[in-house]
Amino acid sequence: MIKRFLISVLIVAVAGVYVIFSDTIIEPIAHPRYTKITAQGKALSPWQGPWACVLDHQHNLLWEVKTDDESIHDGYWTYSWYDHGLGKANFGDCYFEDARCDTQDLIRHTNQQALCGQNNWRLPTEYELASLIQPPKRPGQPYIAYDYFAHIKKGDYWTSKAKVKLQQQFAHLKQGAKAVNFHSGEVVSLPYRNAAFVILVSDITGTYSHTQLSSRDTSTTQ
Amino acid sequence: MRRSIFILLHTAAIFAITLSLLSGFRIATLTKPYLLTIAALLPSGQVHNLHLLSASLLLSLSVYYLYFRMSIGRVTSQSRYHRVVTWLGHVSLTICLISGLLNYFDLTPEHIVSLHYYSAVAIVAYLLLHSWVYIMQFGCKAFKKILLMSSKHVPYKLLAALSLCTGVLFFFINSLTHTLNITPISTQVLMEIDGLANEPQWQNAHTFIIDTANGANFANGHTQVQIKALSNQHETFFLFRWADPTKSLQHLPLTKTSQGWKVKENGFYLFDEQSYYEDKFAVMLSNSCDIGADGTSHLGKKPFADKPANWHGKGYHASLDGKVRDLWHWKAVRTNDMVLADDNYIGPLAEPLSGQRRYKAGYQTDGKESGAYVMNWQWYSPSSITPKRLPTHSGNDDKPVLPWFGSQPYHQSKDIYPIGTHLSSVLYRSNRFEGDRADVRAKGHWHDGFWTLELVRQNQTQSKYDVALNNDTCIWVSAFDSSQIAHTRHQRAIKLRYSL
Repeated sequence: MIKRFLISVLIVAVAGVYVIFSDTIIEPIAHPRYTKITAQGKALSPWQGPWACVLDHQHNLLWEVKTDDESIHDGYWTYSWYDHGLGKANFGDCYFEDARCDTQDLIRHTNQQALCGQNNWRLPTEYELASLIQPPKRPGQPYIAYDYFAHIKKGDYWTSKAKVKLQQQFAHLKQGAKAVNFHSGEVVSLPYRNAAFVILVSDITGTYSHTQLSSRDTSTTQ
Repeated sequence: MRRSIFILLHTAAIFAITLSLLSGFRIATLTKPYLLTIAALLPSGQVHNLHLLSASLLLSLSVYYLYFRMSIGRVTSQSRYHRVVTWLGHVSLTICLISGLLNYFDLTPEHIVSLHYYSAVAIVAYLLLHSWVYIMQFGCKAFKKILLMSSKHVPYKLLAALSLCTGVLFFFINSLTHTLNITPISTQVLMEIDGLANEPQWQNAHTFIIDTANGANFANGHTQVQIKALSNQHETFFLFRWADPTKSLQHLPLTKTSQGWKVKENGFYLFDEQSYYEDKFAVMLSNSCDIGADGTSHLGKKPFADKPANWHGKGYHASLDGKVRDLWHWKAVRTNDMVLADDNYIGPLAEPLSGQRRYKAGYQTDGKESGAYVMNWQWYSPSSITPKRLPTHSGNDDKPVLPWFGSQPYHQSKDIYPIGTHLSSVLYRSNRFEGDRADVRAKGHWHDGFWTLELVRQNQTQSKYDVALNNDTCIWVSAFDSSQIAHTRHQRAIKLRYSL
């Protein structure tokens, strides 16, 4: 009888230990291409935030992350394409300029701010920006990794490719710039005067501190 | 032969009771969080089917056992102790079967909603007093006595009959639905979606009443839902009315503390907020009517081996049969001012996203062209947050939705609010939803302890994420009282019946 009792107690104990140690740990899985970076240049794990930039391991670039906080990086602001006399100045809409906005304004402000420790922000090339295109993972989302590039709109985003011959309804304007449309995942040519969105990019220079990017800060939790 | 029949019945009963208890306790984890401590021992996935199947077997066995005992009498001799314990087992099992059937048919009176659960606990007690004591007394011989019989003595005809009865019972019970008769109206009739239901057509509409149970914060977890429906050739109008003594419009409110702004919450970090959340109402639609929310309920912390676990341990909704279930999700704060219900759906398992902490399996929103509500924090953290906007004057700091025109972007210099100040966490950044997600117009109105919700949608929307409204459509309804996911539920689907 005692032996049977001890065996049954043992069975209950084994079940108890199994219950205690079988809990599923939920952990993030690193993205194969992107890493979140804080405004101060620290790397975060996938569920940490807030993040201001995304490190693109494929192209060794740092991408600006749009926001919805009405800062200069707000995703709702639009810009006409303009670069030191080429293009059309101040034909977009934003709140941070007295006049209206163009791409040069955002680049200037972002470099002054030294976003993510970088001061070489620029418009992406057509190749760089088009490389972000990927089919949406959820209905109605733009053609981009929306979990890293939040607040990207389903619209046109300027590239640095200018002096492009315009076709069809824009032919009379002669020249414009290339843009990537994240609603359709296509590259289009637009007049400089169009109010389009912008996501800036920065080359990670040799002097940039990679140790900052490789360190995993766990102090910020979601 | 009597002994063989007894062994067959006893073995089948062990199997059915074990399966019923394990699947039943898994279902009970939705409302009894303490059961999550033994969740590792419970099955996960589509356990509602398992529960109904084992209950069908148990019911078949019980009926046959009653006949067997009445016609043949006692097979085994028992001590007085075991006779008393067996009597306890029979009573518990009878109560459990009857209360389970009442639950399934949505007929359980409000104050005995938990009877099924407690009778199941009594069965566990019975098993200990019965089986464990026998094992203590006889050791392995007890198993030989109740499990072994020669193959030539197996009552195959009885085994086949019981299997057949179980299968028939399972499919019969699973096929039963409620019926909601929809009153036809002319396309000329103007219905205003205002939550007031003061159009005369509502007075003439058929009223269907269903008890829903097991929701957080409702008295005994229960609320009764009255449903009416009207339809013309193009649209169907629904009127839902349910008791909710508290009008909950505080949706994760922000509060100023000595350490800064914090989100008031009780479970939100695990995506199971049950205190500081708006009231909600959900309607699921499908063109099939099966148990377990049409097979979309997959319970457990990690019901899908190759997908992430959920934080609350309760489960997911997903359609694994390739069909889409429609889900209308009215929210008293976030969508009511838009005069919309959030048009969502339950589809196949979504691909997990590296950057998203909450995986939602098959529960997703329809796509939208524009429009949004946003949360009034720059980044959520349980310790502190920074609001996106602050009110420009004091009249706007206690509104359920912080108005855009009446607030300004957050700046430290403007954050002069005293400790204890409350602030809405919901902002309408732009217009109401437009596109697929805005297919369902809805407006709720709370008065004297009742929500009244008027809702309308086109019978055909052309969206691949919507389910057409016709005589093949079944619906399920759920009320949420200040809770994020802990909604009430009913078992049988409600089939729509149009007379057009």
